[in-house]
Formats: sequence, structure tokens, C-alpha cells
Amino acid sequence: MRRPAPSTVRWLILAALLVLWEFIPQTGIVPELFLPPLSKTVAVLIKDWREYASELAVTLYEVAFAMLIACGCGILTGALVGGITLLRDLLLPVFSSLYAVPIVILYPIFTAWFGIGSQSKIIFAGVYGFFPVMLSTAAGIRTIDPQLLLAARSMGASLPQRITRVIIPASIPTVLTGLRLGGALTIIGVVVSEMLTSAAGIGYLVTRYRTILDSPHVFGAIVMILLLSILFDTLARAIERRTRVWQTAGRRQTDSAAIAVKPAEAVV
Amino acid sequence: MTQPHLTLVREEPAHAAIEVAGLSHVYGGRNTQIPALEDISLSVGAGRFVVIVGPSGCGKTSLLMMMAGLRHQSSGTITIQGAPIAAPDPDRVGVVFQEASLFPWLTALDNIAFPLTLRGTPGAERRARADAMLNLVGLSGFGARYPHELSGGMKQRVSIARGLVQDPPALLMDEPFAALDEQTRMTMGHELLRIWSQTAKTVVFVTHSLTEAVYLADEVLVMSARPGRIIDRIAISLPRPRTYEMMGTETFGRLRDRIWQQIRKSD
Repeated sequence: MRRPAPSTVRWLILAALLVLWEFIPQTGIVPELFLPPLSKTVAVLIKDWREYASELAVTLYEVAFAMLIACGCGILTGALVGGITLLRDLLLPVFSSLYAVPIVILYPIFTAWFGIGSQSKIIFAGVYGFFPVMLSTAAGIRTIDPQLLLAARSMGASLPQRITRVIIPASIPTVLTGLRLGGALTIIGVVVSEMLTSAAGIGYLVTRYRTILDSPHVFGAIVMILLLSILFDTLARAIERRTRVWQTAGRRQTDSAAIAVKPAEAVV
Repeated sequence: MTQPHLTLVREEPAHAAIEVAGLSHVYGGRNTQIPALEDISLSVGAGRFVVIVGPSGCGKTSLLMMMAGLRHQSSGTITIQGAPIAAPDPDRVGVVFQEASLFPWLTALDNIAFPLTLRGTPGAERRARADAMLNLVGLSGFGARYPHELSGGMKQRVSIARGLVQDPPALLMDEPFAALDEQTRMTMGHELLRIWSQTAKTVVFVTHSLTEAVYLADEVLVMSARPGRIIDRIAISLPRPRTYEMMGTETFGRLRDRIWQQIRKSD
């Protein structure tokens, strides 16, 4: 028998989990308070879709602004820190260690400064997502093949030309990876801060329904957050794949390249 | 002066395309001073093919980078086409590096056209000139390929085309075939001679391979171990066009042996 493709197996596992989610609570092994069946969760989502939609809108609004901060500041700082040796020596160790700190402990301070509205969420999540963007931008610029810059110089490229025509295109793939990670962290940052202190957003719904022990509504909110993260990740990966064709292709496509090159074997 | 018969050994013309005079270079900071190059003087006539050989670390690549205006010497002068070279000048000097150094996000054609893009040459002219270079290096039909879709030899062909696209009178080559396998290397050497004879460039070529040196050169300059000095200049009297058969001849062996003896003595 042929082994099924990994993607088939992945989908089968997902389907199995969904089936278990539906039937285990119904058998009564797990109380409904801990795990309401899938059908009940979906029913709640459909019934109260207005509420979920308006809270999702708040969350999306906060995520969008937080990503703007994370990407804008992250790319800018990363470019400076990666490109300027002095800044790199001074700041890179600091930023690398800060990245390891659970910044969520600072969230109460953020609420003291910026209130419990959207502002504190946006700033907190922005800071949260900033680090991976900044660090991978710096890494992307630092790891550019110096030979490429030397070659550009030999062709008479000025510094601005080296930046726009070599450094930027060469670092795009690494920066995009950072944006994907940073974006994911921004979503986490927004949801977590909504869960901690707030009066709106999907994270707020989770907390509110949990305090009144309404499990189906809690799970409804969780499902929405999951879908949001998956959607973002899929989108980000698709963009990444499109732009880094030349990078991954270098390794993966050697076979197809060899085949493609065949008709012209005379050319060494 | 020139014999009327078919030996195509080129006579050195009166004016030199590349002139290096009293060049020295010292590396180091405040406390350590490492002499890297010592009193190098050489002169390459227009259209000549000169090969520099020497032990690893003798500074032959540094010397070439200085000729390209990519690095600065401590003292001495380098003149190319009658004017000193202070910064890279693609109008006077094209450079081909050991690794092909192609931009992986550009197609072969765009890589070749890159120097033209930098100076804002209009699109149509850019494409036409890049296409002409692609033909010259024997890669017609491969313009739309990305570097990762090309073999090592093909990449170096693209790299040579890029070095020639601005039509500079001089081409500097830093071990361009060192990363290629032996067979490809031989083919590429032969191809380079064909391109050279079609374009009449002045070539300075750095290599580790003695066979390559003798096969390609009008003249071989042998450098000593650090600090690098020129310890021998050997005129290669083999007729042109060069053929693979010449490698088996006694003259070829003698020339290669003489270079080897010089390098060994200096080490």
C-alpha cells in the first residue's frame, strides 16, 4: 500500500480532532463546562454573530495599528542596527535580551499610562511584535553576501544605489520572515491584553464568558482567534513564498534546473 | 617588427593600458604593521593578457582589487588608460570575481545589464547591449534564467558578460574559474581566449593554476610569498590561437616548470 501524502494525513488528523470534539462531550466523559461540543459552539457563534463581529472589528482594528507600529519601527530600527556597526555593538545585545523578557508583565504599566481602551493594547502589542521584526531585519542586513556589495561597488554603484539595489532586495526574504513572526506576536499581544484588562475585543469576550461559566461562548471566541491567526499565517506565508522564490529555489530546484538546462549541455 | 608569418604573439605596444609604479601596501593597526605588498611595478600593454600567479596569501588578489579601485594602497600609483584610478570606474575597468557574485533576484540578462541600470541607460539600449553580451559569452536563450537555474560555468559566463557590458578597455579577473571543476575550467579558459580575441581587451588574470596561467597568458608575473613582490616575469611564446594539444608540448611543460620553481623558491 502506498503511504498517503503528509498533507492528507494532516487533514485527516484535523478531521479526527473535530469529530472527537463533537462526540467526547456528548458521551459525558468530559463535562460540558470543560468542553462544549463543536455543534454547540458553532450554534452560539451563529446565534450571536453580531456580538462576535463587532468585537472582532475592535480586535482587528487594534491588530492593524499594532502591526503598523511593529513593522514600521521594527524595520527602521533593524535597518539601522544591522547596518551601522556602532549601533549594532551597542544595541543588538540589549534588544536580543529584551526579546527574551516576558513583556506581558509590563502590561499593567501600559494600562496605567494609556488607559484600558484600545490605545494600551495597540502600544503593548506593537512593542511585543517589534522585536522579531527588528531582529530579523538586522540579521537580514548583516548576512548579506559582502561579495555582492563588492561587485556592486566595482560596477560603480553609489551608496544609495547599493542600498536600494542590493541591500533591500537581498534582505527582503529575511525581513518578511520577521514580519510573519512579528505579526503573529501582535495578534497574541492584542488578545492577551484584551483578556487581562479591557471592555472590548475578542479577548474580552473570552474573559467575560468564562467568569459567567458560559463555555460555548468562550469556545466560540477561541475559535475566532484561532481562525484569525491561521488566516494571517497563511497569508503571510503566501507572500513570503512569492518573494523568496530565488532563495529556496536555489536548493530545492537544483534537480528541475538540471533538467531544464539539459538541451544546452554544450554550454558549460 | 612583427613577423609576417602566422605566429600571433602580440608585440607590446608603446603605450601601456595599465601601469603600476612603486606600489606598496602595509596592513595593520597601531602596533602591528604587516607588509603585504612591496614595491610592485608592472606595465600591461593594451590588448595584452597578463596572468599573475603566486602562493596563497601573497597579495595578488589585493593587488587586483587596488587596480579595480576597490581598495587603497599605502603608497605607489596605479594608472589605467593614462589616468590614476582612485575609485571603481566601470568605464575603464570591468571586474570578474572568483564567485560569480550574481544578484540572485535578477535574471541573467538583468544581471548583465546591472551596470547600465546603475547609470540610467534607457531600457531598449540596455537590453540590446546586454543581449549582445549574452551572445558573446555563448548564452543566447538563457537570458530569462535566474542564477540558481544556471551551472557554475554558465554563471561565470554571465559574470564575464557583466564585466564587459560597459565596454571597458581593461578586464580584471580574480581566480574566476577556481570554483569550477577541471573540465569546465578548461572549457572556460578556452572560451575566455575566444572572447578576448573578439573584444581585444587588456586582461589581468589572477590564478593558482600554473597550467591555466601558461595556457592563457602572453606574460606571467610570479609573485613571492608575503610580502608580495614580483620575482619573475615570463613571456609565454606559445603561438595563438592556443590549443589543448599545446599543453602536452615540451615548451609548455618547461614554462610551467619554471613558474613552479620560482614559486617554490620564494616560499
